[in-house]
Amino acid sequence: MQPKLLTGNAAAAWGARLARVDYVPAFPITPQTEIIETLGRWIEGGQMPGRMVTLESEHSMITAAGAAAATGVRVFTATSSQGLLYGMEMIYTVAGWRAPFVLINVSRGLASPITLEPDHNDVLAARDSGFLQIHCATCQEVLDSVIMAYRIAEDPRVRLPIIVNLDGFYLSFTREPVEIPEPKSVADFLPAYDPESTRFRASSPNSQAVAVLGGAPYSYFRYESHLASLNALDVHAEVAGAFAQQFGRHYEAVEAYRCEDAEIVFLMIGSFATKAKAAVDRLRDAGEPVGLVRPRLLRPLPAKELAQILAGKQAVAVIDQNISVGMGGMLHAELASALYGKANAPPILTSFIGGLGGRDISPEEFYEIAAITRKAAQSGVIPPARLLYTQEEYREVQKLQAIAHAERHEMGAE
Amino acid sequence: MAKTLIRRMKDLPSTHLFGSGTPMCAGCGGLESLHQIYEILGPRTVFVNAAGCMTLLAIYPFTPFRGSWLYTAMASAPAGAQGIRDALDILLAQQRIGADEDLNVVVLTGDGSANGMGLSATSAAMERGLDFLYICYDNEGYGNTGQQFSAATPHGARTATSTGPHGFGGNKKDLFSIWAAHKPAYVATAIGAEPVDLARKVETAKQLKGPRLIITLAPCPPGWDFDPRDAADIGKLAVKTGIWPLKEYIDGKVVHSKIPHPRLPVEEYLKTQGRFNHLFQPQRDEALLAEIQDSVDRYWDGIAV
Amino acid sequence: MYRIRFHGRGGQGMKTASRVLGTAFFQEAFQVQDAPRYGAERRGAPIFAYVRASRTAINERGVINHPDLVAIADDSLISAPAAGVLQGIGPRTVMLINSHESPETWQHRLNLDNTILIVPAEDAVTDRADLPFAGMVCAGAAARLVGVIGREALATAIREELHTHGSGLVDRNIETALHTYDLMQDHANAVTEGTEISAKSYASPQWIELPLENAGSAAPSIHAAATSTLLKTGLWRTMRPVIDYDHCSHCWWVCSTFCPDSAIRVNEEGVPEIDYDHCKGCLICVAKCPPHAIEAIPENAAKAREEKAHATKTPDR
Repeated sequence: MQPKLLTGNAAAAWGARLARVDYVPAFPITPQTEIIETLGRWIEGGQMPGRMVTLESEHSMITAAGAAAATGVRVFTATSSQGLLYGMEMIYTVAGWRAPFVLINVSRGLASPITLEPDHNDVLAARDSGFLQIHCATCQEVLDSVIMAYRIAEDPRVRLPIIVNLDGFYLSFTREPVEIPEPKSVADFLPAYDPESTRFRASSPNSQAVAVLGGAPYSYFRYESHLASLNALDVHAEVAGAFAQQFGRHYEAVEAYRCEDAEIVFLMIGSFATKAKAAVDRLRDAGEPVGLVRPRLLRPLPAKELAQILAGKQAVAVIDQNISVGMGGMLHAELASALYGKANAPPILTSFIGGLGGRDISPEEFYEIAAITRKAAQSGVIPPARLLYTQEEYREVQKLQAIAHAERHEMGAE
Repeated sequence: MAKTLIRRMKDLPSTHLFGSGTPMCAGCGGLESLHQIYEILGPRTVFVNAAGCMTLLAIYPFTPFRGSWLYTAMASAPAGAQGIRDALDILLAQQRIGADEDLNVVVLTGDGSANGMGLSATSAAMERGLDFLYICYDNEGYGNTGQQFSAATPHGARTATSTGPHGFGGNKKDLFSIWAAHKPAYVATAIGAEPVDLARKVETAKQLKGPRLIITLAPCPPGWDFDPRDAADIGKLAVKTGIWPLKEYIDGKVVHSKIPHPRLPVEEYLKTQGRFNHLFQPQRDEALLAEIQDSVDRYWDGIAV
Repeated sequence: MYRIRFHGRGGQGMKTASRVLGTAFFQEAFQVQDAPRYGAERRGAPIFAYVRASRTAINERGVINHPDLVAIADDSLISAPAAGVLQGIGPRTVMLINSHESPETWQHRLNLDNTILIVPAEDAVTDRADLPFAGMVCAGAAARLVGVIGREALATAIREELHTHGSGLVDRNIETALHTYDLMQDHANAVTEGTEISAKSYASPQWIELPLENAGSAAPSIHAAATSTLLKTGLWRTMRPVIDYDHCSHCWWVCSTFCPDSAIRVNEEGVPEIDYDHCKGCLICVAKCPPHAIEAIPENAAKAREEKAHATKTPDR
């Protein structure tokens, strides 16, 4: 089939359409809005069955999504940033209902200060909720992941909702060639949803999401979600195999690029990982044995795969497009916990914070990260975490500050 | 206009569908109305609940419902109802279920959620024309956390967060009018102490389509501080003193279903409850008593009898 | 360390009892921890509170699993597994019961050799306002049983804990507590400090690998109807409504409709029947019955009446 040029948002909408979703509770927020506009147009135009309802908030939207899934239909919804946080109570709540659905998050930095451009603090705030998480690097991967996500989430061995993440701007509004699978092939790959006993029907009473008292039932239900999430590692592998067979594109839980003989490895998630991939190629041209690891599945965390791929490497440079304020990069901490005590674990992990609020990362910066990390591997001394930030950027901000302060002065505030 | 079958006490159901054994307080006025409501709605219902006293109706593995239930969160029960209603409609339209599997979707929340955190979701559900019934049990405070004042607390009532000599300084939010302003299919006030009136209203609501909302005043023995045995009598006094007008909004008009005549002085009601003790002891707070009486009088003066 | 648990019903003053005892220990220069344990249930439902007291800092927390003293304000709770009164009782645990029955009767009934002490229960409490004194009765007795709390410390503790109430109520509470304090004179020091669990020889916690289970059953969902009826909320009742069928006017609806708990049904002949397994004793039916054909009687009196009726019936069999 001839690929088409699609934005990441359009690819997400195509994924929902091909997955034959029944229900789309929606609420607009930049940079996600194009997804629901596209679905709304298709539904109104009769190109796609299904029903879309615009709620009054993401909190209500996620409630409606969970409630419809708990009634036994296939649900798709999407949000970004502040929207995801506004709905966060329900993100945790509906995950415990064990009613699967797909939520697209189009990553965007969080307030304050409020901004439009991407980083991963929004989606990582949902890290511990019980939702599975797939992070995409290309528009094709967005479309494919939505279809795979339904099969993984609806699998009776999993039964958890799932977030498919794409970066705002860098994927959401960016067109790339995307192959749109045939509806028939998708139908073969993804059967109709069977909710089993998780549904509301007049013939059988069902009190769902009831309260518990005491630590024993609470621990049981919470830990069952954890076990089900861990189960998604094997299910993902199975589903990825079936997907490759059907569509010819293969997705691993962890993408390893030129890692076999690499001494230094970059670790990144999301669309910026393709920049790292380009940097790997240039570094290889320069004779540097560098590779890239990109966890696609972040929940469950493929800790075993990461440890295997990274075994014997000299050092890993973790580039976090997020910041846990008061701690640092979250993926750096996650990787450290996945590798600690493992045989042949790389002795050096370096930490770089970059790409906050859409701040770009240049090829030179990747090369420099590799150089610093190689130096750390040689000396055995791990440098402190570094924010990717230049003197020029700082000067720009100082100019802005001057204006901000001058205005205050002129207004008589000082 | 809907036809109702229940006209007198003898028409009321005498076998009970609602399961006993719930952890609600002895003498709970909210439960008194809910069990009466459930007789009429029956088990072909799915109750969508928001955080409040009645969240504890269903504690794993015990439920009083013969039909279904979903606990959501404090702010979004109407959105939960939206998801379920839409999903059922989708399943019906696609003939994946028959009409015999359909359910009435009922939101059940306290006054805290209804007047505060959940009001945005309720307003939006009405504006979308959602076909659902909303039951608010109004015990005039955040009862499940020990009766702090809510937007539904009446003027002068002492609560855990209005302990001063004049009680709560604010005024009870007029939820009935807020709801009616959305022009939904039906809005009513009711109370478990007037079972025939309540039953008739539930019957009416059940036969209509679209957003239908009923607020039942829920005398609360621990929250209002009275002996549980007095719950129904206090409920009756709320109606007889005119403090709790029984009314309906239907076909665009507000109609009072019971006009107290003669209207008893409000203090007949107030003196039955510890939360109003400070109006009578150590000495009568004549100013506040007059203020409360005056607001009730003004309400009824505005009603064409 | 002393570890003491108070069992009673919501409304019987268990939290206050634990605080009074805690403050009394504190007066005597002990380190103290006291706390109530709330569940979902409300007034009338079984609840408990606990006190730890030690000469050194207390690092233990949470529910007491190995009590030195269990004080029971309401003996009807002992036979109810849900109340957990007997949980963790060891051979040296002293039981203090507010009861009409003798220690021997309880020893026999529970098949326990433990020291059981009785504070004679007040004659039936008919006014709910009197319920909290059950807790004070236990607090006063417990203070004496540990043998390290003086009369003055107990009285001071009560004054401190109830200072927001009127002086009349404070005096009545002090009188109640000191009365049972004195009653336990012969048993001062009956309760001794328990030991700590040894780290050398202990029972393994028997951890398991939690199995992954089907999502349908591993979600907090109930696929059944009206399972709440399995909970016998009749246990909450202190007063029992009893229908005098000679005076019942068979109105059909009043008691049954007003009962919040669906605990009164009307049979086909129009006769109301109270489900005592679930009646919480709110007595709305007593208040609303038009011909006043429902009487409220204290639960123990009702039980005694029941047993008597049963005893006289048996020979006819």
